[in-house]
Amino acid sequence: MAKRSHGSLSASARKERRQLNIMTLPAVIWYGLFCYLPLFGIAFAFKDFTPVPGRSLFENLFINSPWVGLRNFSYLFRNPLSRSVILNTLFYNSIFIVAGIVVSVSLAILLSEVHQKKFRALVQMTLVLPYFISWVVIAYCVYAFLSTDLGLINHILTALGADPVQWYQSPESWRGILIVLEIWKTTGYTMIIYLCSITNIDRTLYEAAALDGATFLQRVRFITLPQLRPTIATLFILSIGSIMSSDFGLFYQVPMDSGALQEVTQTLDVYVYKSLMYEANFSYSSAAAFLQSSVGCILLVISNIITRRIDKDSALI
Amino acid sequence: MKKNRKYVMTQESSLGKGANIVVIIFFTLIMVLAFMPVLLVFMVSLTSEKSIAEYGFSFIPHEFSLDSYYYLFRTGSTLPRAFLNSVIITVSGTALGLVIMCPCAYALSRKEFAHIKALMVFLLIPMLFSGGLVSSYMVNTQILHLKNTYLALILPGMCSTWYIMIMRNYFRMSVPDSLIEAGKLEGVSPFQSFLLIVLPICRPVVITVAVFQIFAYWNSWYPALIYIDSNHSELYPLQYVLVNIDRTVQAMTRDAAKVAGAVNVNVPGTAMKMTLVVITILPIMLLFPFFQKFLRTGLTIGAVKE
Repeated sequence: MAKRSHGSLSASARKERRQLNIMTLPAVIWYGLFCYLPLFGIAFAFKDFTPVPGRSLFENLFINSPWVGLRNFSYLFRNPLSRSVILNTLFYNSIFIVAGIVVSVSLAILLSEVHQKKFRALVQMTLVLPYFISWVVIAYCVYAFLSTDLGLINHILTALGADPVQWYQSPESWRGILIVLEIWKTTGYTMIIYLCSITNIDRTLYEAAALDGATFLQRVRFITLPQLRPTIATLFILSIGSIMSSDFGLFYQVPMDSGALQEVTQTLDVYVYKSLMYEANFSYSSAAAFLQSSVGCILLVISNIITRRIDKDSALI
Repeated sequence: MKKNRKYVMTQESSLGKGANIVVIIFFTLIMVLAFMPVLLVFMVSLTSEKSIAEYGFSFIPHEFSLDSYYYLFRTGSTLPRAFLNSVIITVSGTALGLVIMCPCAYALSRKEFAHIKALMVFLLIPMLFSGGLVSSYMVNTQILHLKNTYLALILPGMCSTWYIMIMRNYFRMSVPDSLIEAGKLEGVSPFQSFLLIVLPICRPVVITVAVFQIFAYWNSWYPALIYIDSNHSELYPLQYVLVNIDRTVQAMTRDAAKVAGAVNVNVPGTAMKMTLVVITILPIMLLFPFFQKFLRTGLTIGAVKE
């Protein structure tokens, strides 16, 4: 390993180390300003933020605002609105995680069996495209289907003799819509990751299975799925870490911020944004944000420990 | 790395000829479904306003028209300005981000760098823990004074621990240590060996990160929503113009009426919205086939564990 004591280093080695340090400096400064400086803001969550105009942020936060302990958090859990927001976030994320794994793993396995290489490449390219389209754009694509008077779906419904539906006013269908959209946007991306893992599976396993006359399902069950386990575990643990976070665009832009849909579409990120921007409610929204970070972080560590107990190779850290 | 791309398994596929065709048809259907929303918007942008009002949005235009494109390009400076803003933000954000991330990734890839462990922890903590929207907002507006500036749209998304790790792993795997040691004997400094040896060899991973950043910046609208007030609309990127589409189209309709010299000129408002959507995703669609192979590299390196 590298020598530790500075005394034994030659002048050129010292110069070399100094240059390497300098090369990391811009990144360290960036992280300091945009990641570490905001960390002090966690204090917002434990304060009743009462800014005095004209004073600096630090003075307002640490001197002019009283500590309130966990009051902001207990408000979050008692307030019916924020409680439903937290439940919504957990509900959508659990479905996204499970459905995401099931859909993309099965598509990846099925696609890996297609004979034509060119076709496999074409499918991957087409399905990953939505991943690179912003939710703003997707919101208008959805609008083209769901608009009440112009939308394609209502057009088809009336042509079939059914009554048109006011989609942006009917919350009951939106859970389904949002889940389908999330899967549509992310499946291509995760599918490629799984496909690559399948590609790296030792071919001789399959050859042996073929000699034994294994069926397609047997191959999947006894070779592909067990070999995919580390990749599935990695993506699973990573998504558990963000179980309290949600894609702001999906839940804010796509429902066009429609008030009638709020009870099913509002998640923590939307709630945090709205209480910050419309109500200037720094303390509650900061408490909500702190909840997101800490719950995600704790769950990530726990799920990683559990995974390591079950299967050492699958754990992340 | 090259080995990963080889995924021929034809002879081992357990699907018979018939089953293979069924699977191909299945995937073709899925591709059509995946592409449909974009196609619908594209077709609507080519439809005349009258036929939209009469028949609604549909895949087959009842009456074909390019009016919406004509109006968007002819009226006002909103669209060219927003397009230019998006380009400025995308190019400068991506370039600056690389300038910051690449040297850092290089230092982390060298064994003689004294603070590998400490810097790794420093970079990983923000991945797990963040101060949240409120404090970032307060810091960026009250301490860094980024509100209503280009910098608010560029700086916050510039670096990512994920990309630094991807590059570091790639530098480690593809640059033989002996090459750098040999350079050292010739008196090459770390900075020179980074520029002259590592970057040329590792161009694929740098391009991959650049591609991801280009798409991320082009698609970003959240910073504009938070940091740009409506009286600074000259800073709006294309995506955010889209967020404010109703206001934008109103303004353009007014301009168009002025240009046409008539008060009740028939401006294709709805089609114009969809045309704006098409213009926003067009660069992505055009660049995507070229970027595609780099995306694949990025997605797969990201998934490979150390």
